[in-house]
Amino acid sequence: MAAPADNLLVATQVRKEFGGLVASNDIDFAIPRGSIVALIGPNGAGKTTFFNQITGVYVPTSGSIMFDGVEVVGKPPHAIVELGIGRTFQNIRLFAQMTAVENVQVGMHCRLRGGIFGSILHTPRVKREERESRERARELLTYCGLPRRHEEYAGTLPYGDQRRLEAARALATDPKLLLLDEPTAGMNPQETADFTDFVRRARDDKGLTVLLIEHDMKVVMGVSEHVTVLEYGAKIAEGSPAEIQANERVIEAYLGKGAAA
Amino acid sequence: MTRLRSLSLIDAIGLVLLAVLALYLAKEFVGDPSRFINVSIIGLTNGAIYGLVALGYTLVYGILQLINFAHGDVFALSGLVASTIIVSVFGLDESTGVLVILVGLAATLAITIPAFALLNGSIERVAYKPLRHAPRLAPLITAVGVSFVIQNVSLAIYGVDFESVPNFIPRTDAIRIGDIVIPWNKLAVFAIVIPVLLILTWFVRSTRQGKAMRAVSQDTEASAMMGIDVNRTISVTFFLAGALAAVAGLVYLLQFNMRYDTGFELGLIAFTAAVLGGIGNLTGAVLGAFIIGLVQALNEGLDGTPGSDWTRSLVFGILIAILVFRPQGILGEQTPEGA
Amino acid sequence: MSTQGDVRPGVRSRVQRTWLLIGGLLVLGIVYPLIVDSLKSLPLIGDFVPRTDSMVTILIGVMMALGLNMVVGYAGLLDLGYVAFYAAGAYTAGWLASQQFSQVTVHFGSTVSPDLSGIHLSMWLILILAGVFTTIVGILIGLPTLRLRGDYLAIVTLGFGEIVPQFVRNADSIKGFDLTNGTFGIAPIDSLGIGGFVFREQSNKQDLYYWTAIGLLLLTIFASVRLRDSRLGRAWIAIREDETAAAAMGVPLMRTKTWAYAMGAFIGGVAGAFLASFRAGAFPADFYFNFSIFLLCMVVLGGMGSIWGVLVGGLILGYLNIEGLATIGSKVQQGGLDFDPTKYQFGIYGVIIVLMMLFRPTGLIPERRHKIEVAEGVHDTPFYDVQLEGTLTDRDQSDD
Repeated sequence: MAAPADNLLVATQVRKEFGGLVASNDIDFAIPRGSIVALIGPNGAGKTTFFNQITGVYVPTSGSIMFDGVEVVGKPPHAIVELGIGRTFQNIRLFAQMTAVENVQVGMHCRLRGGIFGSILHTPRVKREERESRERARELLTYCGLPRRHEEYAGTLPYGDQRRLEAARALATDPKLLLLDEPTAGMNPQETADFTDFVRRARDDKGLTVLLIEHDMKVVMGVSEHVTVLEYGAKIAEGSPAEIQANERVIEAYLGKGAAA
Repeated sequence: MTRLRSLSLIDAIGLVLLAVLALYLAKEFVGDPSRFINVSIIGLTNGAIYGLVALGYTLVYGILQLINFAHGDVFALSGLVASTIIVSVFGLDESTGVLVILVGLAATLAITIPAFALLNGSIERVAYKPLRHAPRLAPLITAVGVSFVIQNVSLAIYGVDFESVPNFIPRTDAIRIGDIVIPWNKLAVFAIVIPVLLILTWFVRSTRQGKAMRAVSQDTEASAMMGIDVNRTISVTFFLAGALAAVAGLVYLLQFNMRYDTGFELGLIAFTAAVLGGIGNLTGAVLGAFIIGLVQALNEGLDGTPGSDWTRSLVFGILIAILVFRPQGILGEQTPEGA
Repeated sequence: MSTQGDVRPGVRSRVQRTWLLIGGLLVLGIVYPLIVDSLKSLPLIGDFVPRTDSMVTILIGVMMALGLNMVVGYAGLLDLGYVAFYAAGAYTAGWLASQQFSQVTVHFGSTVSPDLSGIHLSMWLILILAGVFTTIVGILIGLPTLRLRGDYLAIVTLGFGEIVPQFVRNADSIKGFDLTNGTFGIAPIDSLGIGGFVFREQSNKQDLYYWTAIGLLLLTIFASVRLRDSRLGRAWIAIREDETAAAAMGVPLMRTKTWAYAMGAFIGGVAGAFLASFRAGAFPADFYFNFSIFLLCMVVLGGMGSIWGVLVGGLILGYLNIEGLATIGSKVQQGGLDFDPTKYQFGIYGVIIVLMMLFRPTGLIPERRHKIEVAEGVHDTPFYDVQLEGTLTDRDQSDD
């Protein structure tokens, strides 16, 4: 595959079985540092399952996932966040009972120190940390396209703002690798274009690496530098967007046999 | 999420504990075999009763993922009501003829089974159904509340007295092999419980309603899309659980006396049995019940064991141990948590 | 940039009104022992006014309910065995402030004569030690149980709530060693006091214990408010709402849940030790499973997660339990009906729980987040809303 580049994430022979169903079929996958990579494939290809294994929600049946030199398999999700992987969810999973700012603050949880004693006693250090975290949360929200509505409850925000909030919350975890699961689902073309700009900007401004699951080919072609294609849990192709677009196997996977023109 | 490494350590600890227990039991058996067996028979008999109640818990949990805390108290109330029917309404006692007793008991069941099936179904309609889409904590808390309401209904009607029926089933030996005895009253338990279990098995396996129950337990949404009336299936499940509780109440009454709060302890024992066998698994509930029955009897019947003062703690200890070492129970399947 | 549309007119005056209310209640609470006799002589309602010593028990009950509120209301963990914490605290007082361990004689800041055998530490120190010990118990209980799903957690805590009382009832001969004096309990337990000033020897001992109880309750309320608006409080809400998402955002599930449990345990332990001193004994009969349900009922009635709510719910139910039902019962009997409501009190609590969950699950004084959770929509803002809760924690006003 790629030359011995500096790979932030290296997944080796990752396999996930649910009973008799093989959801991830010995996947080998590497993400170069600083790149924007897209993971695509027809529905049911196992993209979210793969995400979930990177973030520790699922434990692979076998295989290894090395993140920045550290083995991630077997670690609980919160430890993986601490290592520097943040994510959004396919179906938005905001904390509806908390305001936008509070949602972002939860994202900062592992980067803050305020413990139980400091909180009860309201020590100056905790007080300051809380104030600073609120300010930083506001900044992040504004950066992600939410300059207002910070004190509104997440459940009451319109769909587009909820997506932005999800992104802000993920960025709050201060990640090296940002996983975006179908981030443009339900967006109109303008919002989608804004979003692809945002992804590029965030990568450049914050020194991120981005892995996104996408169905919208314009986004894939427009923003990603590498594309990996899954089908039925197995990797069937990878390369640059242009290469993938012309790849017969990929076209077949999406449109069925005989569709490769 | 499964934790790969820690699971094996916990598994190992669990197996070691089981091995120690097995060795201890073997020693007791060898020491006094016939006593061990007699005590075990008592245990199995109790286990049969616990099994009926455990089935009630597991049926409801399988279909709603709800621990129906009130189930034990429904069981107790059914036993109390049965005692009233038998003693005050039918006036059965030791002098009554065998045939009349059998008819009387059957008639009692003919009253309590539909009555408590209906009660259980009503509880579901009134207290649990409105909360089906509420956060998970809500129906659980409500079930605790319902448990207390039912208990107090029993208290209001029967006070703090123990109710019982005369020993018209003799305690003389029905079967005797050397020093091993099986008295009539213990045999009677199996005579009632086994047919009930067979009927239940037939119902769940062969009837349309039974298949609907199994389908809804596995996947409620898919079942609804297949045209199964989910509400009715849930109601039927509660009717069934109530009926089982009524039978269990009568059988329990024939062995022991009952009080308004008998349901609490028995409910905990039965629920532990259901979890031990694998919650949601019918065979597991019965298996777990037999095991718990044996454990209890051995604890109370042998020397050198903690004794009846500690039975509740022992049963809870088993519950905690199961949930720590093997939460899916003996016959259950491991489900991915948090997925 | 504060164009968030949340600054409503009249907020300042509402804030002022809240502080006035709090101040008023505080004053009422403090002077209560001094005015209780005059209150009791009022016509009609005089009989319903609780005695000072009843109020002590009620206040400590509210304190425990607030502890349970952190576990159930904040973190969403259904704990049905809180009585275990109560017992742990009480028996710690029993071990460290009585003649139970008459094999040794240890005195440190005690309020009894120095030649009394047994361990006698300063009761104030014991309150803290009881809290710590109970927290350890709580963490030990939590280790295997907190990773279970909600319903299993409930049953297991229920189990511990049963095992601990059964243990204290039977632990009078563990290999010959008497740990808890079995069914008799440990008594007498020393009084609170400062040097020679022993509460129990004063003529107004109820009042002194009462004021201490007020102090403990205020501390508990204070801790509740602080934690609710802290990093830990946010983590609890996140876990309560969506555990998986919380973990995906870096919240360590087990650790965070354990903190909730530990806080609940600490409060229960302190409360238990205090009550043991007040009642001069730790008796197994006080530690029955139903007590946990009684506390749960306070939280459900008042409003899960709502500090004011639990306060109100706790006061109402505590009062009913200690005096109210009995007083109502005697009035009813005077009226000719032979009905004793105290016998059915748990049935009443059961009915309350069921009715509340069906018709007003957010409680009498809803906590703002639970309201959203139950999706009541946007109604008139209740007396307690976002702005006011913010001021209680004395946060930077510029935030809004």
